Amino acid sequence: MTKLSVEILERALKRERAARKQAERILEQKARELYTLTQELQFSNKELEHMVWEKTSELKGVFENIIDAFVVMDLSGKVLKMNDAAIDLLGYTIANEPINLIDIVHPDEKQGIIDAFKLLYVNGSVANYQVKVITKEGKTRLVDINASIIYDEKDKPVAAQGIVRDITEFKCLENQKEILLKKLEKSNDELQEYAHVVSHDLKSPLRSIYALVDWIKEDNEGQFNEETLHNFSLIDITLEKMEQLISDVLDYSSVTSENVSAAEVDLNIVFKDIYQILYLPDHIKLSCIKNLPSIKGNRSRLQQLFQNLISNAIRYCDKEEGLIDLDYKDQGEFYQFSIQDNGIGIAPEHHEKIFKIFQSLHQNKESTGVGLSIVKKIVESYQGEIWLESALGEGTTFYFTLKKEL
Amino acid sequence: MKGIVFTELLDLVEEKFGLGMVDTIIENSELESGGVYTAVGTYSFAEMLSLLKSLSAATGISIDDLLEVYAEHFFSVVEVSYPGFLAQYNDPIEMLASIENHIHVEVRKIYPDAELPTFDIEEKTDKSLTMLYTSSRAMYSFGRGLMNKTFEHFNSSATIIMEKLKEDGTEVRFIITKND
Ligand code: HEM
Repeated sequence: MTKLSVEILERALKRERAARKQAERILEQKARELYTLTQELQFSNKELEHMVWEKTSELKGVFENIIDAFVVMDLSGKVLKMNDAAIDLLGYTIANEPINLIDIVHPDEKQGIIDAFKLLYVNGSVANYQVKVITKEGKTRLVDINASIIYDEKDKPVAAQGIVRDITEFKCLENQKEILLKKLEKSNDELQEYAHVVSHDLKSPLRSIYALVDWIKEDNEGQFNEETLHNFSLIDITLEKMEQLISDVLDYSSVTSENVSAAEVDLNIVFKDIYQILYLPDHIKLSCIKNLPSIKGNRSRLQQLFQNLISNAIRYCDKEEGLIDLDYKDQGEFYQFSIQDNGIGIAPEHHEKIFKIFQSLHQNKESTGVGLSIVKKIVESYQGEIWLESALGEGTTFYFTLKKEL
Repeated sequence: MKGIVFTELLDLVEEKFGLGMVDTIIENSELESGGVYTAVGTYSFAEMLSLLKSLSAATGISIDDLLEVYAEHFFSVVEVSYPGFLAQYNDPIEMLASIENHIHVEVRKIYPDAELPTFDIEEKTDKSLTMLYTSSRAMYSFGRGLMNKTFEHFNSSATIIMEKLKEDGTEVRFIITKND
């Protein structure tokens, strides 16, 4: 062997040895890394196990303690799991006898539940599905089901879960409420009808009295003295007032929200009509401050509303120059109207009372104490409110709101 | 660069040219490691370049040709060391098309410090594949050698055209057409 090749071999050997040492070092290092890594893995594995255990027991707790009945079933409806509430509700325990939701549904609703299952499958969930089920004891219960599909990690549907709520009693109460409401409606109608009939029936004897009084006067013409004649005229006035009172009651009883028909009513025309109908003394000036709006409603009711308030203002005018102003403001959903006068005014303690039926403040022959209660009833049928501002001796302003569209 | 690329190169040099050549190129190169390599270590790519230059100078063979021959040898290392990777494929085009998104991804998992090229697929049919090679190491000829062997592995062959998009070879287009 030449000297050169020996040197080459020696160098190669040295390199090999160094490489081996290097490799051993690297491998040692790797082994240590592996060891610590395994340690860490073991630790985190334990932690994970613990967490999984915690989660499962947590879930188990939720499942068992949830107040509503909770059911897990396979896609054919076979019940796989149910919590205590579900067992209480249905009476079945799946440990002893396997049950299928479709089998315990009331026979009349079989097709319905099959359709609901299809819907659940297609949409992934069903909300507030109401169905009658038969419990183990044979009782029929109405339940409300909220169900959803459980998917596996590949998004494949594997099962369904549902919260089942017993609404038998609730439904019962709801039905009772409905029956009560119907009854109430009926007795309301009857009451209204009754008021109608009574007012009509009261009017005919009144007419008879009228006629009789007339006959007595005719038969005894020239034979009565002044005082008797005066008393007769008092009877006339009282009868007239009585008749007015009955008409007003009739009117009051017939104002309900149902009378509000939805025609467009131009309040300018209404105002003009009122102007013509009412007897307006020369010393009173009635004016409308601006062009009035149109409103959806019942024309004659609206006229009655404005007419009653305006005629009150005329009636209670005590000034040499009476002023009555009609104005309004647009408030979005509502119009707010005001009718202002410079009449006698109303004392604060009467501001509430005047809207109550048969509460006239003045023993006035024209006043029956029904007018303002009708006004209030009409305003309320437009979901509005009425109130007033007043100073004794200076005047009164009535404010009321009417909903533009009902 | 992974140590196995060095040890396998030196083994091949020893096999083809003798231990004297190994000694020569190590002695003639500026090597931080002193020429001491183990397959499980990691070394600077500059050492690889240095060794290839010395080998090219001593043998008169171009670096590109050396790399191509070396890659053919390296493929058999892959065949022995990572048979699992190859077993997943039954078509060479499919295998080459998945270097970027599968093979080298797995390689990176085994060697987080591996320096790998990128292969962007520009066009692919059943019989042809056009890919853009990008790497600061410009080892495109190494790639070409691996590609030839890949076809051979599936008892097939291909015509491979290389278009250098950059003079230094850091960006090369491979147009690979399978022979019938
Ligand atoms: C099972 C198959 C493969 C394995 C296990 C593998 C593994 C590797 C490894 C370990 C490296 C060295 C990385 C470093 O030193 O940091 C490398 C580099 C390289 N591989 Fe792969 N490879 C495989 C297939 C291929 C194929 C089919 C090609 C085809 C072209 C390829 C092209 C390259 C190239 C060109 C490099 C050199 C690095 C560069 O250019 O930047 N590899 N590969």
